[in-house]
Amino acid sequence: MFMGGNEGGSYRPLTQQEIEMLHKASMLVFEEVGMEVHSRRALEIFAAAGAEVDFPNRRVRADESWVMNLVKKAPSQVKLCGREEKHDLALGGKKVYLGTGGTALNVLDLESGRRRASTLADVRRTARLVDALENIHFFVLPVYPSDLAKENVDVNRFFAGMSHTGKHVMGGVYTQEGVRKVIRMAEAIAGGKEALRRRPFISMITNIMSPLKMDGTYTDLMLTVMEEGIPLATPPAPIAGATSPVTLAGTMVQLNVEALSGLLLAQLVNPGMPVLYSAVPTTADMRTMGFLFGAVENGIMNAAAAQLAQYYHLPLYATAGVTEAKIPDVQSGYEKMSTSLLVALAGGNYIHDAAGLLESGLTVAYEQYVLDDEINGMVVRAVRGMEVDKETLSLDVIKRVGPGGNYIVDDQTYQYMRTEFFLPNVADRSPRALWESNGGLDGREKARRIARKLLAEHEVSPIDQAVVTALQTEMPELIVD
Amino acid sequence: MGNYFSELGENVISAKQERVRELTQRALADGVDPVEIINSGLIPGMNVVGARFKAGDMFVPEVLMSARAMNAGMELVKPLLVGKEVPSQGKVVLGTVKGDLHDIGKNLVSMMLESAGYTVINLGVDVSAAKFLQAVKENKPDILGMSALLTTTMLGMKDVIELLKEEGLRDQVKVVIGGAPISQEFAREIGADGFAPDAGSATELCHQLVAR
Repeated sequence: MFMGGNEGGSYRPLTQQEIEMLHKASMLVFEEVGMEVHSRRALEIFAAAGAEVDFPNRRVRADESWVMNLVKKAPSQVKLCGREEKHDLALGGKKVYLGTGGTALNVLDLESGRRRASTLADVRRTARLVDALENIHFFVLPVYPSDLAKENVDVNRFFAGMSHTGKHVMGGVYTQEGVRKVIRMAEAIAGGKEALRRRPFISMITNIMSPLKMDGTYTDLMLTVMEEGIPLATPPAPIAGATSPVTLAGTMVQLNVEALSGLLLAQLVNPGMPVLYSAVPTTADMRTMGFLFGAVENGIMNAAAAQLAQYYHLPLYATAGVTEAKIPDVQSGYEKMSTSLLVALAGGNYIHDAAGLLESGLTVAYEQYVLDDEINGMVVRAVRGMEVDKETLSLDVIKRVGPGGNYIVDDQTYQYMRTEFFLPNVADRSPRALWESNGGLDGREKARRIARKLLAEHEVSPIDQAVVTALQTEMPELIVD
Repeated sequence: MGNYFSELGENVISAKQERVRELTQRALADGVDPVEIINSGLIPGMNVVGARFKAGDMFVPEVLMSARAMNAGMELVKPLLVGKEVPSQGKVVLGTVKGDLHDIGKNLVSMMLESAGYTVINLGVDVSAAKFLQAVKENKPDILGMSALLTTTMLGMKDVIELLKEEGLRDQVKVVIGGAPISQEFAREIGADGFAPDAGSATELCHQLVAR
């Protein structure tokens, strides 16, 4: 009932003046410090486009007018499609969608509860579970299959995702050959090269390194995706106090330069291609310098990133709903809710990492997807806010019922009761006596039971068997299940 | 004739009050037995509503709207039942105890009981023990239900039960209690026959007690 795509924007940590201050500071960093780019091809592309390139030091600098001229050419709307049309995402403006993130290396086993290395089967099972959960709007490949050789990972991870959910599949990539094969595979499923560009149901993630560095391997992967014109996120993940300034504002200034760099390169390689302004601003615990994914400040910075993306009219890839908790517990609940709520209320478009992840992104748990589906449902409801019009003001109804009456059997109650409120699946709202007679379960155990039931019963819309057979012939390393 | 019955049931379930009234009129005009309209049309529809409510698929306002649709049919049929008994699950006297003015929960129980086919005499709020006693004497209900929201007023329930004992009426009526601070333990302590944690369970509790 509550699908994604509602408009956020009510939470604004930055004033208009502060947004402009961040922008101006970023432009000075672009001009005076620049980005260090460890890819000959990328350096040449920047130079040919008129940026100031210091080849011996691999440094790219540019002034504000050069940067902004390119930013204006980037699309302000990006459509990420589902294999099924009902799951299409229209990114841009203040529209809000929440989905999974990766890449974790471990999973809490649904039966034993113990942490173990994740496998290809976990990619399939998490995809199927997410397909069944309506408040998780897209599927970022969440785990690394430890049971596969590196050269077989890209193809098999993406195929496992695409074949086990009809929602949009985004993923990190590991080899150039893998990137090309994944795209060939998606083209076959979509019904051709053009069909996939028209309805891109896959997209890719290649990282930028903080501070201010584009790594050789990643940038070459990035260029391959850009040449193919497949939607792309190029997230930098600065850690305030470690790989970016300790202040939130300083981290945002640096992140803005890094995020725009990926976007600009994409526009130079393939003008007009779908690319997201990508942000993974994080923090560290100053007591230990340990990396933090679930800190409230991460939520504030991602909300600020939403304001910057809106200022530039660019669609945003943001981060929220992560936690340092090792198991689904109280901490995972409040950390996830606080960041997801902040970023969604700010109008973050594509809020990834907001389902399944625990332990700073190192581990996923099946029951956590069910719990996060519920958190996301509440978040989406909060984003929707309150509809105020003649009908909802209810003057006639208040007159009709009058003092001392009740609204339980009023027609208006009947009409609105299923759409006005978010109804949780996990939260227990029954009186104690009923809760006790139903086994006195806590939220985690209840979520486990829901996850087991969905995995046993949910059916995913299948990929045409003839296409799968043809792909297997073409790519013998493809594991089909 | 079977068509009338299943269509009546369906329209009770979907709470189409006007349609139920219309169908009942047509069935009566066709000479269908009024008792059959109730027992084979209206009540089976309401039974489906009860089952769906229990499964969480229907909500309280929907149950009550279905009951309203059922009653639209009942009103037409009842006057024709001269000499025959109007089917009823039983008679319930309800009230909020002395000193307590909360009534939405108790009224909800009242509506849910009526929708399940009970005759309910609702005494309102701030009902003294003497008034409960008088209502039991006058109406001879199967069940007496008391509600309280406050920990300070809930003790008034015990007074009512003691008074019923003194008057020798305790074994002629089942006593059920409810409200936020009430528990099964408290019900046992004061000698009530049952406790229900919410309005849906209250109906089930009454079914069980009446069946005994």
